[in-house]
Amino acid sequence: MSKKVEALQAQGISRRQFLTIGAVSAGAVGIAALSGPVHSAGATTSSAQRILRVGWTTPPDLLNPFTFTSSASFEIVSLMYDTLLEYDVNLKPSAGLAQSHTVSADGKTFTYKLRPNATWHDGKPVTAADVKFTFDTTAKNNLGQAAWSLGEYLSSRVVDTHTVAITYKKPQAFDPALAVFIVPQHIWGSMSSSQIQSNTNPKPVGSGPYQFKKWATGQYVQVVRNAKWWGAAPHAAGIIWNEFANADVMTQSLASGSVDILTEVPAVLWNGLKSKPGVKAAEMESFSFHHIGFNVSKAKTSKGNPLLLDKTVRQALSYSLNRAQLVALALAGHGLPGSVQLPPSFGDWHENIPKNQQFDNNPAKAKKMLAKAGYRVGSNGIRVDKHGKPLHFRLIVIQTTDEDVLAGQIFVKAAKAVGISLTLETLDSTTLGNIVYNSAAPDWDIFIWGWDANNPDPDYLLSIDLASQIGGNNDVFYSNAAYDALYAQQAVATNRAERINLVHQAQKMFYEDAAYCIMWYQSKLQAYRTDTWQGWKEMRGGVVYNFTRSNYLTVKPK
Amino acid sequence: MNARYFVRKLSTLVVTLYLTVSFNFLLFHVLPGSPVQLLARSGHYDAAAKASLTKLFGLNHGLLTQYFIYLKNMVQGDLGFSYTYRKPVTTVLGAAVGNTVLLVGTATVITVFIGIWLGVKAASRANSLTDTTITVTSLTLWSMPDFFTGMILIFVTGVWTHVLPISGIETPGLTVGWLGHLLDVAKHLILPALTLMLVNAAEFSLITRNSMVDVMVDDYMVTARAKGVAKKVIVWHHALRNALLPIVTATALYVGMVLGGAIQVETVFSWPGMGLLIYNSVEQRDYPVLEGCFLLFAIAVIATNFISDILYQVLDARVRNN
Repeated sequence: MSKKVEALQAQGISRRQFLTIGAVSAGAVGIAALSGPVHSAGATTSSAQRILRVGWTTPPDLLNPFTFTSSASFEIVSLMYDTLLEYDVNLKPSAGLAQSHTVSADGKTFTYKLRPNATWHDGKPVTAADVKFTFDTTAKNNLGQAAWSLGEYLSSRVVDTHTVAITYKKPQAFDPALAVFIVPQHIWGSMSSSQIQSNTNPKPVGSGPYQFKKWATGQYVQVVRNAKWWGAAPHAAGIIWNEFANADVMTQSLASGSVDILTEVPAVLWNGLKSKPGVKAAEMESFSFHHIGFNVSKAKTSKGNPLLLDKTVRQALSYSLNRAQLVALALAGHGLPGSVQLPPSFGDWHENIPKNQQFDNNPAKAKKMLAKAGYRVGSNGIRVDKHGKPLHFRLIVIQTTDEDVLAGQIFVKAAKAVGISLTLETLDSTTLGNIVYNSAAPDWDIFIWGWDANNPDPDYLLSIDLASQIGGNNDVFYSNAAYDALYAQQAVATNRAERINLVHQAQKMFYEDAAYCIMWYQSKLQAYRTDTWQGWKEMRGGVVYNFTRSNYLTVKPK
Repeated sequence: MNARYFVRKLSTLVVTLYLTVSFNFLLFHVLPGSPVQLLARSGHYDAAAKASLTKLFGLNHGLLTQYFIYLKNMVQGDLGFSYTYRKPVTTVLGAAVGNTVLLVGTATVITVFIGIWLGVKAASRANSLTDTTITVTSLTLWSMPDFFTGMILIFVTGVWTHVLPISGIETPGLTVGWLGHLLDVAKHLILPALTLMLVNAAEFSLITRNSMVDVMVDDYMVTARAKGVAKKVIVWHHALRNALLPIVTATALYVGMVLGGAIQVETVFSWPGMGLLIYNSVEQRDYPVLEGCFLLFAIAVIATNFISDILYQVLDARVRNN
């Protein structure tokens, strides 16, 4: 028996050896076949069919123009859908789906003349009824990212097929036509409010320069050129937004040429791209700031340290900081020292506080102010108020935002130098958000994070700290009737010079109250290849991922 | 098979599953704050809009009511509605599970076979240079974090030599036939699968080696050798078969664990699987998706343990007779 078995076993082995050799060689051939040069769509096709490839780490959430919230979704939606007016390459309002418009003498009624040749991606014509439907639906149901602009919306009237008149209760300084994406009534008209909100909009039909092709969740979104668009045809036959889970790999993909442009690059990686051939690393002003927020809630339920309700303490903390040093250390120089809520990228809306009047880099003054207000230095070097309560506060920072953590550490030292003690704690962003926004009983003293404008109009950033936004966006529970009044006045000031004046006053008032200590305006760091597409215009807000779609429409294949 | 044994194991399984599901629900719902508030911060919503979102997400009910709705829906195969994607969780999970199974499945098969092969090689030449080399190398690779191994592979193959794609599961927008698509996916699969294999093969090679070394000194091995059976036959047929039991257990545990364990590899290679989905859902506080993911992991771990318990009965006479 043993001989038989051994013979079989011997055969088995040889057979196995044969199979092993076979498998190994097949595998080798397979790998060799697979390992040819990596081609990406668009890299080898003719220039008329070239696809523009964008890389980002920020995935889009939804492609429903009523419900999306992310900047990535805005980027895609704004190429598939049109607004009546849009921001041009200089971020100035210009004609969009409406080729012209007039405003009534009282500033309350806006009449738009639509482009007669505009059609939806399914071939049906765009009419005034679609515009009326979109504005009515957005305002009535408070839907989406543009709803904020329709707070004073009254009604829309279809004048003729291509003319629509929109009326507001008050004059409008900001024209909501810049924010509301027009949708086709024949698709959305039959849906209830909750159906609209839960609609994933799997095949978006808009009237924009690009139409939807594919969304591979977690991977990419692809759009193709709409040959029937009313404007000058863009050069890119399609656009692909490629999602990366890792910024290092994304940056390497730009360097190796498998994407053409990146929407956001972390500073360390951006520095590394500066020396790469065929790559331009671009630094531009952004519409964002990072700030230290003080809990100024006057609610009885607030568990914040009441000593922060004293403006002197807040101003002294602001004086203790050296913002130029913060920019140099925390941002590696990629930004500007901060002051008021509207960054300098807002142009003439930005209130320029003279250097010598800024609460910045003056620890001596901070000490003097505190001493004058009765905060004497205690035995351990920490100042105490008249009742012996120490100036001791909790500081919370998002642990994954490196620049904020670094700024927090610098702040702790700076505050200590003027006799104020801070304990730094880092938290994940969601937890921090929930602690800060616990408007029923806020249990925190000081935090660090930032805001991005969603529009080059000053309205949004000014609206954050309205008393009416407590429970909403107001992150420090600031409440000042005079500030709210200034905000309300600027919102209806249709005279630009007059509005600028009001916007300046509002910024100045908020600055004096020092509920925010704005640390910096960070730069927008992007990078693009110079050997695949040409004509990228660098501008405030960014080449792409900005409030205008102009670069997507004008860039040419090289 | 003993019916009582089976019923006892099955009822343990059901109770474990129920406790996991409930814990899952509680874990995400007792965290302070609301997902609606987070959406509102980026969306500039007013109170009315927030109220309607709260209702849409079913967060307007009390915690207990939400719990019963959750259980009732789950029994009906409805895992809820993703806050972020506004789609049923089953749809969101479906695509991700498929991608993870492709990656983890491929990697596991390769890992187990290569691990066992290396373990056998090491054991059959115990204490030789081959053994030391295999053991030290696999231990070194095992001790490296998988994202680090992945990054090294990315630099070597993707950046310096450009031979393999370093990100995603397919080339975006590529229009080729199904065969071209298959090859494209296979190309994207190589690096992440290789990373998982390099890091995890040690687990199997070491278990196999140690188990084999024990078996190799048993009396019947000496007998076989004395009979003049070829060494290869002894190693592969006699020894491996008897050394297989701990390897089966390890494989069962590994399959259950690895679903979630691929998070880092999926993040490094932007592989759109469960790991990446969990990562993004944690960021967005998308409870229903997270609950769905953890339910799936729990089922995977509990089910593989159950199967290995049953397999023990089948494979091992000692368990069977007890």
